[in-house]
Amino acid sequence: MAKRNTFKEDEVLEEPFDIKHLLRASSYIKKYGKRMISALILSAIGGAVGLLGPMIIQKTLDEVIPAGDTSKLVIMILCLLGTVLVSILFTTFRERIMVRVSQRIIYDIRKDLFAHLQRLSFQYYDDRPQGKILVRVVNNVNSVADMLSNGLINIVLEGLNLIFIVVFMLLVDVKLSLVVLAMVPVLAVFMFWIKNKQRKAWQQVSNKNSNLNAYLQENIVGAKVTQMFAREEENAKIFSELSDSCHKSWMEAVKYSNLVWPGIDDISVVSRALLFFCGLFLFGQGNASIGVIVAISSYASRFWQPIMNLGNIFNTFINNIAYLERIFETMDEKVDVDNAEDATILPPIKGEVTFSHVDFSYEEGKPVLKDVSFTIKPGESVALVGPTGAGKSTIVNLISRFYDVQGGSVSIDGEDVSKVTLHSLRSQMGIMLQDSFIFSGTIEDNIRYGKLDATYEEIKKAASVVCADDFIEDLQAGYATEVKERGGTLSQGQKQLISFARTLLSDPRILILDEATSSIDVQTEKALQKGLDAMLHGRTSFIIAHRLSTIKNCDKIMYVADGGILESGSHEELMAKKGAYYSLYTAQSQQAS
Amino acid sequence: MYKTRDKIKWIWTNMEGFHAIYILGMIGTVIYNVLQLVVPFFSGKMIDMYLTGEDAVYNMEHHRNFFFILLGVMVGATFLRTIIVYVSCMAYEKGSQKVLYKVRSFLFEKILRQDMRFYSKYRTGDLMTRVTGDLDAVRHMIAWVIRAVIESFSLVMATAVYFFIMDWRVALAILSISPVIAIIIAQFKKHVAPRHKMLRERLAELNTDAQENIAGNRVVKAFAREEYEKEKFDKSSRAYAEQNEKTALTWLSYFPYVETLANMLPSILLLTGGIFMIAGTMTMGEYVAFSGLTWAISNPMRQVGNVMNEFQRFQAASDKVLEIYYSEATITDRPDAKDLTERFQGEIVFDHVSFAYPDEEAVAPVLRDISFTIKPGETLAIMGETGCGKTSLIQLIPRFYDPYEGRILIDGEDIKSFKLTDLRHQIGLATQDVLLYSDTIDGNIAYGDVDMPEKDVLKYAKYSAANGFIKAMPEGYDTIIGERGVGLSGGQKQRISLARALAIRPSILILDDTTSAVDLETEKQIQEGLANLDFPCTKIMIAQRISTTKNADHIMILKDGKILEMGNHEELIRQNGYYADLVRLQLGEEVLASMLAGKEGK
Repeated sequence: MAKRNTFKEDEVLEEPFDIKHLLRASSYIKKYGKRMISALILSAIGGAVGLLGPMIIQKTLDEVIPAGDTSKLVIMILCLLGTVLVSILFTTFRERIMVRVSQRIIYDIRKDLFAHLQRLSFQYYDDRPQGKILVRVVNNVNSVADMLSNGLINIVLEGLNLIFIVVFMLLVDVKLSLVVLAMVPVLAVFMFWIKNKQRKAWQQVSNKNSNLNAYLQENIVGAKVTQMFAREEENAKIFSELSDSCHKSWMEAVKYSNLVWPGIDDISVVSRALLFFCGLFLFGQGNASIGVIVAISSYASRFWQPIMNLGNIFNTFINNIAYLERIFETMDEKVDVDNAEDATILPPIKGEVTFSHVDFSYEEGKPVLKDVSFTIKPGESVALVGPTGAGKSTIVNLISRFYDVQGGSVSIDGEDVSKVTLHSLRSQMGIMLQDSFIFSGTIEDNIRYGKLDATYEEIKKAASVVCADDFIEDLQAGYATEVKERGGTLSQGQKQLISFARTLLSDPRILILDEATSSIDVQTEKALQKGLDAMLHGRTSFIIAHRLSTIKNCDKIMYVADGGILESGSHEELMAKKGAYYSLYTAQSQQAS
Repeated sequence: MYKTRDKIKWIWTNMEGFHAIYILGMIGTVIYNVLQLVVPFFSGKMIDMYLTGEDAVYNMEHHRNFFFILLGVMVGATFLRTIIVYVSCMAYEKGSQKVLYKVRSFLFEKILRQDMRFYSKYRTGDLMTRVTGDLDAVRHMIAWVIRAVIESFSLVMATAVYFFIMDWRVALAILSISPVIAIIIAQFKKHVAPRHKMLRERLAELNTDAQENIAGNRVVKAFAREEYEKEKFDKSSRAYAEQNEKTALTWLSYFPYVETLANMLPSILLLTGGIFMIAGTMTMGEYVAFSGLTWAISNPMRQVGNVMNEFQRFQAASDKVLEIYYSEATITDRPDAKDLTERFQGEIVFDHVSFAYPDEEAVAPVLRDISFTIKPGETLAIMGETGCGKTSLIQLIPRFYDPYEGRILIDGEDIKSFKLTDLRHQIGLATQDVLLYSDTIDGNIAYGDVDMPEKDVLKYAKYSAANGFIKAMPEGYDTIIGERGVGLSGGQKQRISLARALAIRPSILILDDTTSAVDLETEKQIQEGLANLDFPCTKIMIAQRISTTKNADHIMILKDGKILEMGNHEELIRQNGYYADLVRLQLGEEVLASMLAGKEGK
């Protein structure tokens, strides 16, 4: 396992810059190929019509005005206006197309990125701050939009423009053209030097912003803890440092980015000076006619304009490539728990769960489970007890295949869980996690999360079974009460009840309760138990609980310790055995009295 | 919402210390734009004198040095101009980054110091958008929009002056279209402003949805709801893209008019110039001088729509930033709050306290008329049904909320008379919903005191029975735990959170069901640890288990926000009420009977 990342460390990007990122990005563009090409053609036509303008002006100045023909002057001006209108019409069409295309492209990229994130396992989310994931989905994707749409089109247009100019220039005079082109190698060296500097600098900007985002998110979520420990000042100091690194990395990056434009400008003026010098002085006046020099010098200035534009595009490319890399890196993140290629659909579960010589560890060399084997018969209720951190949660997490085992196998009704589709497996299981996460929305919606097409009656019934109906009805708007992020003002126990109702509503074939009732008071739990017993009838269930009173009646109790099942049997059997469970149970009753 | 003038003032004050640099940048912009108008003059002169002019051959032979001077001036002026461009760009960047840095730090601290009412109003993703994306639009304004405005303005002004000097009639004709453009842009502004506002909202929603999905990824997987989540996210992603499109298209519906007007300049020039030339009141040379500089008027005209678009984006985004910037917490230090230098003795008095969550006072009081006293060093255990107000009650002590009626006193003084930080420094709270930071375990325990020596960290971990499992981890106290403590079991998280609360050596320790997820053996150790702390403290603990609460000096039973029973274990057993029921429920009838008998026997 890679080391966990925090806001303090940059996420290292090992891959060197690769043109393949752009090629890959092109797969997003392909879809809009037709539109992009039509935009390109529109631009080209618009540009060409625009070029007629100077010709009309020239003709007017040369012929119409000397002739003093006012009516012809008006006609020429109308023609001029006509070219302007046509050119603008085409440009507007192009822009309209490109606005749509660029929005579609970011929408597509974001969709794929989000879809991939849904497939990534717990591990991925465990290993990095949430703020760093968020920044990729939102900010980074936004950044690359323009580059992939208008950026690309402009490269093509400016490139074509450049080629035309060079060809025309060469046709006029090869020697003088070579003088103009002599500065191109200088430009190439300059751009190459700056590219390397810039790329690193913009990667730093991306890293530092990501760190800042991570810390920001953590602090918004944890503001209460910070206030409790009156650590506002300390945290503000840390944030200021992060913010300062963002500022420094930005200044470092723009130090190079801002050089591009003036740099090209300088090179171009040197090139023009060189042209005058060579044309007039070095080659001698007899060598080239005045017309040729004037023509070449006007081409020369037209030659540098697209290069400057390309320089600007280049700038946006370089700084956005850093974001593109991050996006593709996330999309390439290996899905460690994934459907097998030939995964089958798990038929309706009867409920037999078998662990066969299961080995598991979160980190290499630190086994959590060693050679664990057991079989649970359909409909049995199983309690897992034992010290914290012994591996109880791990066992239940393996049944839902939140992690993959390293050795042995976990199977349900004889089917290896790693060989069936995740969806068919998990949608038949009801898992109540330790952290009862509540989404913002109404209480009704939160419960409905367990069964999306549930009716209000079904929801109310599920809530009644877990004794949540009373308190929900007492709320201002009942089931329609909006709960804020993370449950807002609901108490921890209430959140657990809602998440319990949500699980029950999903009508699971196998129910897993991981400390599901730890924050619920004993009275409520007792009442809840009754309803639950009825629901559980005929379903396999796994219950992790510390209050032994709640699990005494389970069919089977497994005592988990030291990476394995130490004892297993019914309450009576284990009491008779006078082993670990016996001491735990007697300790609990003694301690209580 | 906020006036533009106030916003500029706001930016200006936040740029403190960098005003000179920024102004220098602005002056630089003016200079290089004027230079931009001047340089072509030299190359024109060169072409005239040495190439196309009548005396070109003569000049080449007899005024060679001047040719080189002109060449030198052309190159030199460009070099000078590019240096000024670079320096001035960097000045804008510096100024904008300074504002960004300052406002961002300020916002962060502001958010951190907000009360719970604020947090129920703004969602995480929304706040993050304001501090990142919205604030970036402010930066863009300072670094780019203002520069573009000055650039356009100086170009137009310089050129206009020049034009008027040359021929006021033509100048007037050329500038006559600017009022039309101004009217169009004003119309565009009205049209686009609400769309930008909407766009900022959509961005915040997108961020909020993505944030919640990431935070709830475990639940999503547990219910195999990936498809549903994708659909949900798709909605906000699509809405954002569509709003973006709509906003951009708004400009495009004005663009043809502005662009046509700007592109009409050469035609207007040709018309007026043509007429005047035919009439003989204008020379070809003058015409060329005009036409060589029309770009300096038409480019800024084209730019103005773009600038207005960006400016509206700034307007929408800065409103959102300022809303947080100027937000005030309702729970703050009183102006006369006094410094607290000594430890509390730890006497806590609730004096007819009633409480409801903000804005719900009339409908849903959570606590009603609570009064009790705990003496220094005593332990109070609070029990009661889910949702009866236990957590609400203890949250009043560090003033996460204020009661709407009654007072809370510590050592005889109203807690509102202390500074918030001082008050909270004395209270150790381990909350139910454990929130740890992605940091080392050591860093998490020493959260309240970053300079804590390692042996102390160890000590507090031992009090909370956490040393054992921490030691067993491959990197011990240096193990990095994920956000919200992922990778740890519920019980482990609770113990670290307890150690964190103990590590500030509080004079009042509040435990909100902190041991609900630990096993009994461990809880016993924790109880022992808590009984033997090396500092005095008053303890308030919420718990479900009789084993945790029975040794407390006071046990309070809350029901529907009111005190139902209060007394010690023996007293409450004898009352044979709710508490006795709990004993019966948890330990059985016999134990209760023996308890009763035992006490009566004494």
